[in-house]
Amino acid sequence: MAGTGPTPLERFINGILPENPVYRQVLGMCPTLAVTNGMKSAMTMAGAVAFVLICANVLTSLIRNLLKPHLRILVFTLTIAVFVTIADRIIAAYMYDMSKQLGPYIPLIIVNCIIICRCEVCASKQGVFTAVSDAVGQSLGYALALTTIASVREILGSGTWFNIPVLPANWPDWVVMVLPPGAFLTLGLLMGAANWIGTNLGQRRKSAQEAA
Amino acid sequence: MKNNYLKQAWLVLVLAVCFGGALAGVEHSLSGRIKANKLADTLGQIPSLVPGAEQGNQEMVGGQLAYRAVDGAGTPVGWVVPVTGQGFADKIELLLGLNADASQITGIYILDQKETPGLGNKIVEPEWRGQFANKSISPALVVVKRKAEKANEIEAVTGATISSESVAGIVNQAAAAFRQKLAEGGQQ
Amino acid sequence: MDYLFEMLVLALTWALINNFVLHYFVGICPFIGVSRRVDMAFGMGCAVTFVITIAALLSWLITYYVLRAGAPLTTLLSGGKTLDLSILNYTVYIFVIAGSVQFLEMYIRKFFRPLYKAFGVFLPLITTNCAILFACLEIMKHVCAINDPLGGLVPSLVLAAFGGIGFMIAIVIMAGIREELDHCDVPKSLRGAGITLITAGILALAFMGFTGVDRGLQQLLQDKEQVAESAAAPAGQNN
Repeated sequence: MAGTGPTPLERFINGILPENPVYRQVLGMCPTLAVTNGMKSAMTMAGAVAFVLICANVLTSLIRNLLKPHLRILVFTLTIAVFVTIADRIIAAYMYDMSKQLGPYIPLIIVNCIIICRCEVCASKQGVFTAVSDAVGQSLGYALALTTIASVREILGSGTWFNIPVLPANWPDWVVMVLPPGAFLTLGLLMGAANWIGTNLGQRRKSAQEAA
Repeated sequence: MKNNYLKQAWLVLVLAVCFGGALAGVEHSLSGRIKANKLADTLGQIPSLVPGAEQGNQEMVGGQLAYRAVDGAGTPVGWVVPVTGQGFADKIELLLGLNADASQITGIYILDQKETPGLGNKIVEPEWRGQFANKSISPALVVVKRKAEKANEIEAVTGATISSESVAGIVNQAAAAFRQKLAEGGQQ
Repeated sequence: MDYLFEMLVLALTWALINNFVLHYFVGICPFIGVSRRVDMAFGMGCAVTFVITIAALLSWLITYYVLRAGAPLTTLLSGGKTLDLSILNYTVYIFVIAGSVQFLEMYIRKFFRPLYKAFGVFLPLITTNCAILFACLEIMKHVCAINDPLGGLVPSLVLAAFGGIGFMIAIVIMAGIREELDHCDVPKSLRGAGITLITAGILALAFMGFTGVDRGLQQLLQDKEQVAESAAAPAGQNN
């Protein structure tokens, strides 16, 4: 059924900013808060989510015509659980330190609303190429969101970025930023900032259109 | 009715079988590596915990898992015991290095801790941990808030007295318990 | 008596000190989404506690008897070979949770019709609540570890039930605060998720004050034991 719904390019671009999974759709909050105390763990999580999202989207899109309506959530869940197990094992085998740091948050990707949402909204209705571009777009958007939060938390909290010191040595680390309260505060303020930018851009576009 | 269910569920069953196969394959190819990673975490620390040791052999001493540290020739030179205890924030897991008759602590290594970043988690730093090297297990180690003067004193991490005291407490208790188990087992 | 005290300290730890929402960041989506009114929040908290306990019980049973390395039932069925089925852990847990939520839905539809209508779409969404899967994963960690005293059935159920109660405490507090915030002039860009997260940050800061309480209670217990022992010793010597 080609021609229905947004094109692959639209899906791709939408995922990065307009329909950003964290800032716009407010999905996948749990790992966003937990792993963003350092850039390294944030990027590992973004990579794991990208892997699961792309694989799940591809598989769901391939079998989309065989899905029975009331069993589809079951199929999505099964697919996602299997790919998350595979991702978890790969990380434990090849990045053992990261695996210890990320702990239970990799298996929690199974209940990450982003992936089920994309399977339901896009992959079960459109072709493989569209599904892949949607998955890649959403993953990039997610990685972007994680980068913004993790950068703020790591730079203010430990003075480093990817474990490289970026602030002078006498910076008094704002330890609260790497602790739970800092996570909530950072995400809340950044979300406010994203909303403000979004409304401002929208208003400017409107006034530019009205002036034209 | 049953036919209908089978028609509806055949996709789920086929997927389940395929996924089961994929998972079995992943398990088969990766589990060896994962187990080696877990062991390397502990075994890799043995040379730095017990002087002269090159590797460790897993043994059970009186119900306690321990690693007998041996040198290149295979002669036992000490023990490395993994212990867990309560820290300030959460459990602390550490490796305790002892000499051959468990009368001296040769060093400690923190495996896992969730202490306050920037304060309590300074217990993982080699400078602080190094205080535990070449300490006799009795009299028991005591944590002080100034420079250590007596042989059984450990200087606390500034601003993290409870984390430091927790580590010392875990070490004291584990060392004494292990020495007793060794004596009971009659091993040297 | 000691065991009971240990379980009470464990319960306190999971409800307040290692609060699921404010320390481990699980269950955030309903925390932001359902915390508008106190009665809805309380209902959601109770539902989640109920599902966590059932799911924890079932996953403990399955992990202990079937999935872990050297599990009794698997060894029995495979004719003595020790198998390690723990790669199926996550898949099994998510289906146990989905099943428990179905069970809860049937129960609520039959006995609490108005509550069922009030919940609407949020009831099946409990399946994607990270808190429940997190509880199962914590239990798996303790059951699969060697010689872990917290791997028994009772500590696992205490973990799950009081983790759920901790979630309920957090979400009810947040609902109370948000009901008050409705009367305040929140900046436009912060309305909704933004101000909720900032409030949650301040709440998390407050809950951090509970750190070390479990250690203090355990010290108290040990000191009491030592006092009792030294009181018993002279009494014994006098005999």
